[in-house]
Amino acid sequence: MKCNPVTREILKNALIAIANNMLVAVIRTSRSTVVKNNFDLSAAVCDADGQLVAQGLALPPHLGAVMPALRGCLDYFGDRIGACDILCSNDPYSGGSHLNDLFMFLPIDLEGRRLAYLCLILHHTDMGGRVPGGNATDSTEIYQEGLRIPPSKIVEAGVANECLFRIFEANVRMSDRVLADIRSQIAALNAGGVEFLKLAETYPAEELRAYMADLIEYTERLSRSVIGALPKGVAEFTDWNDDDGTGHGPVRIHTRVEIRGDEILVDFTGTSPQTSGALNPNYWFTVSNVYAALRTLMPPDMPNNAGFYRPIRVSVPEGSFLNPRFPAPVGARGQPSFRVRSVVLGALAQILPDRIPACTGGSEFAIVLAGQTRRQERFLHLEFHNVTGHGGGPNEDGQDGGPYCLANLANVPVEVIEAENPVQVVRYAFIPDTGGPGRYRGALGIVREYRLLEVDAMIQVRSDRQRFPPWGLFGGKSGAAGTTAMNPGTANEQKLPSKFIRTMQMGDVFRVEMPGAGGFGDPLARLPEAVAEDVRQGKMSIAHAHAEYGVVIDPAGLSVLFDETARTRAARSPRSEQSSFSRKPLDGVRP
Amino acid sequence: MRYRLGVDIGGTFTDIALLGADGSLHTKKVLSTPQDYSLAIESGVVALLAEAAVVPDAVKEFVHGSTVAANAIIERRGVKVALVTTLGFQDVLELGRFRSPRLYDLSFRKPPPLVERRLRFEITERILADGTVQEPVSFSDLASVADAIAREGVASIAVCFINAHVNAAHERAAVEFLANRLPRVVVCSSSEFMPQIQEYERTSTTVVNAYVRPVVERYLTALGERMRRIGIRPPIMVMQSSGGIVPSDLASTHPALIIDSGPAAGVVGAQRLGAYFAWGDLLVLDMGGTTAKATIIEDGAFAISNETELGGHASMGQRLMQGDGYVVQVPTIDIAEVGAGGGSLAVADQAGGLRVGPRSAGASPGPVCYARGGTTPTVTDANLILGYLNPSALVDGELTLDSRTASESISRLATSIGMSPIEMAYGIHAIADSTMIQALKAVTSERGRDPAQYTLVAIGGNGPVHAAGLADALRIDRIVVPPVAGVFSALGMLFADVEHQAVAAFHRRLEDATLEELCTAHQPLLNHARELLEEEGYTLQEQQDFRLFVDARYVGQTATLKIPIPLPVNGVRAATIAERFHEAHLATFGYRSGEPIQLTAIKLQARGVAAHPRVPSAIATSRSPRSDRGTRAAYFGSEHGWLDVPVTRRPGIAQDPAPGPLIIEEYETTIVVPPGWTVRRDAWTNLVIERPQPTLGERP
Repeated sequence: MKCNPVTREILKNALIAIANNMLVAVIRTSRSTVVKNNFDLSAAVCDADGQLVAQGLALPPHLGAVMPALRGCLDYFGDRIGACDILCSNDPYSGGSHLNDLFMFLPIDLEGRRLAYLCLILHHTDMGGRVPGGNATDSTEIYQEGLRIPPSKIVEAGVANECLFRIFEANVRMSDRVLADIRSQIAALNAGGVEFLKLAETYPAEELRAYMADLIEYTERLSRSVIGALPKGVAEFTDWNDDDGTGHGPVRIHTRVEIRGDEILVDFTGTSPQTSGALNPNYWFTVSNVYAALRTLMPPDMPNNAGFYRPIRVSVPEGSFLNPRFPAPVGARGQPSFRVRSVVLGALAQILPDRIPACTGGSEFAIVLAGQTRRQERFLHLEFHNVTGHGGGPNEDGQDGGPYCLANLANVPVEVIEAENPVQVVRYAFIPDTGGPGRYRGALGIVREYRLLEVDAMIQVRSDRQRFPPWGLFGGKSGAAGTTAMNPGTANEQKLPSKFIRTMQMGDVFRVEMPGAGGFGDPLARLPEAVAEDVRQGKMSIAHAHAEYGVVIDPAGLSVLFDETARTRAARSPRSEQSSFSRKPLDGVRP
Repeated sequence: MRYRLGVDIGGTFTDIALLGADGSLHTKKVLSTPQDYSLAIESGVVALLAEAAVVPDAVKEFVHGSTVAANAIIERRGVKVALVTTLGFQDVLELGRFRSPRLYDLSFRKPPPLVERRLRFEITERILADGTVQEPVSFSDLASVADAIAREGVASIAVCFINAHVNAAHERAAVEFLANRLPRVVVCSSSEFMPQIQEYERTSTTVVNAYVRPVVERYLTALGERMRRIGIRPPIMVMQSSGGIVPSDLASTHPALIIDSGPAAGVVGAQRLGAYFAWGDLLVLDMGGTTAKATIIEDGAFAISNETELGGHASMGQRLMQGDGYVVQVPTIDIAEVGAGGGSLAVADQAGGLRVGPRSAGASPGPVCYARGGTTPTVTDANLILGYLNPSALVDGELTLDSRTASESISRLATSIGMSPIEMAYGIHAIADSTMIQALKAVTSERGRDPAQYTLVAIGGNGPVHAAGLADALRIDRIVVPPVAGVFSALGMLFADVEHQAVAAFHRRLEDATLEELCTAHQPLLNHARELLEEEGYTLQEQQDFRLFVDARYVGQTATLKIPIPLPVNGVRAATIAERFHEAHLATFGYRSGEPIQLTAIKLQARGVAAHPRVPSAIATSRSPRSDRGTRAAYFGSEHGWLDVPVTRRPGIAQDPAPGPLIIEEYETTIVVPPGWTVRRDAWTNLVIERPQPTLGERP
């Protein structure tokens, strides 16, 4: 049948609305902080062949996640799938992502034929395993990470799979919370199913089928035409992860990006081999993150579906850090996924220097505080604070506290943490002098301090960027590196690595300093007045203004001393305009 | 005879409604005067009173809806503000929540903070989550902060401390100290508002209030003076975002309460009419030039959300995608907004895709047919080509239209993606509908409601043009278009009651909460609200209506549900509250659970019951002389094609249903009744558009 652009646009709106309805339903009922504040969930509609047709607003690293996980279920069950079943899986080796992400799929049948699948991915608070929250970086096999649910039916012929529920109940921490979230995931899918069938009352099944295919083809056409209009070129970029989560490292992440015709080729050959820790992203997660980075080149209102994937080719050597073999653990792969996105953007910056800013700030910080309150109730505080702010450039400073456009993520309110856990947040603020120097400054780093009240507890931290801070571009310098410490400024001060698990004692204060973002362009080319304004706002010290920008500030009036500034700047050799894109670790130990 | 005057100012137009006790209704639409909004109000009111031959002295009530507070923030025209925070939290305001409203957009920047960093001061003090004092207020810190603020020439101070929603003592001490030291500076604190948990949102609210307070104060004083000068004596009452009205002195000191004033007025008007006529549950659609807004009214009540975001772009994912506006945490009628209005632009992309909105032609250049330089077709241009709008002029001839250029712009777009011009025009109309359906579903099916069960109330300049198409898609059988639908907010606000909202933190498990605690927590709210009502003249017990609620959720959830608690609280049982909560959760989210219930806040709503009925028993509009205007061709999709449609005015519609197609033209809007629908006029001059129910045996 012939499809017209009006009906296609109307159906696109309707399908995205169905996906968004499911997301809102889950967010409103979910108990999990990861869902409520980090929006670690995604909803989508796939056609009968499992091709992604429409995705709701949600987590960018889930951009390519739906199809492989659905494929895993379809391959296993074949034609043994009924309209009143709900399929589920969290198996990274059957198309899933990591164990906490439980995928569910509701088949939609019309007139006896499969029409579509509704999909809902939800990050659950706990899936069992050796460490609460599932974010341990030092696991060595996936068996340590918790329950692996291969493609299964959590609802069969309309009846909940009691056995599966009991297994969850017996194996996960905070099982009330997890089971409630599983129930709300199922309820949201069923509500989406009702909406989808309403749509089918207006549009005959054949028309819906045709338009779902048309929507994918249209998106492919649009993607190819956008890529075709970009400058052609090849560029490589390398970034590093401090370590692999078990104390070994650093881990090299290397990419080669080529814009060729109307396609983009991304190759990770040259990346370190897979490691023994739990930071390895699996193949599908790596690809998803490539999609997320490349999606920034596309029109904002373009639908996210299988058509967008088609002009993109990603090759990741098997057995490498970004495509590990079974039974590699993958639990904390969210952290290096930031490297995957940023190396692709770093390579693109060389081909498209007027479009891509320097590296986003932050150390991909995540913390778990778990224990029992004085009332003998379990508490588990899980919080992600991945980023700090925007990288500088290409045309303006990186905004301090600027949100990261590749995650719809919120920080957790201090007062909510304190109301629900025996924890006090002592400080949450910008750190002066931490933004990467550049003609356009990178955003400031951020400090957060936690004091444990009334009891001892377990603390687990996952972070990075203590050795390889967020990079600058075109002469801009890196942001300040991250640090972690227990009881800073006291006699008991203890510096900590980026990743650890240990006991925290009542009264201890844990401090994390998250890195600033990279700068863009030569710092000596920054307007002196912009430097003075940072000094007046307490975002930069007079010494830093002098050392990094060659700007001399009068301590009395905090204004620029222009003659001294000109002399200071003239005495310094200008930085090379070309960035070498080679990076040295801060501690000088060569990889 | 007593008259009531309602004035609604927007960025472009100021709408005025004059309502007599006998139901006689006069309206006026004048251009706003943004340099001093009270100017247009004065001249508009004088003109309207003259037209209606009403003496100023007869005006006994004056209600005002105003975008002054909102505009001052969006245009950054507030005053210089200092912020005082707990040690360690100077940057809470600028850090915000890290939400990204526009994924994949590397150039997105959130709005800059309203207080720059060097004017954000920390003092030593600390209250813990349970309200205990860990560190007392340092008055020496406060003294040096006061000195620094004095040097800066700050006009207004906001004070927000961590956990002040649980224990306000430190904020009160700081406010008292600063007000003494700096008598000419306005000092606001987060706890004097409606203090709720979440430090960023509370800080933002307090700062917004401090930032616009002097501006709003000046404006309302000027307006009061102008009104007295022209002989209008009643106190100015201002519409709040929550749907109640407050005296202007309270609105002056708490301008954060009136930010969503205009949209609230339309919803309240619809709610009061719906209750008066027993229309059942309502879905209110307000479609203007840039956006469309949807609200539900159930069991006579609209939903109230805890916060709104100001200056953000209307986007369908608003609840998912916050972060591009200033958060204001005050009770606000829960309205879903989408970027679909008369000015929404229709554009094609290089792959043959078609989009309508959210980009809008705005007031300038406006739709192509306004002939003010617009070249990209809009929804209004499409409606014109479809024959829905009068091809030569709108607003009783005050706005002439250029059909030819509108038609050419649509033809160009149609040719570029291979459609016929009329299919394109119908397509633009339909895509705008599909966007609005998302807003209508956001307030219904997203919350477990079936939109088909509601009566659609269509208001705003463009609402009645699109209402029937939306109703068709959502299987709604009844649409009501109230009189003066295009300026309905100005009328609707006259039906609102005086209302005060108060909130207190009540963060504990239901199983742990005692009746004594509930008594202790709600009594100050009750006393304060009673005092306010008495000051406003509602002295008798039957003039005071109090309602108490708790916000409750299952432990660990985000969204709370508002559960009513009967007053007095003596007989309240925890089991009753629990059962009500479980039932509300089942109705809203589709399941109930045996988990513990977390209470987060108690809320009091206090209403002054007016001596006179708010909704008159009949309405007689001054405009719309009875004159049929012949017929014109209008297009109703491939099913019906072009039809010859009778065009009339509201008085031309009888009490007995007349079959569509029909077009009813009014001063402020146009009502489209497609084939398959009927329309009748009730005693109140509401147009009731219905889909005839198939009788038994007849096939639908």
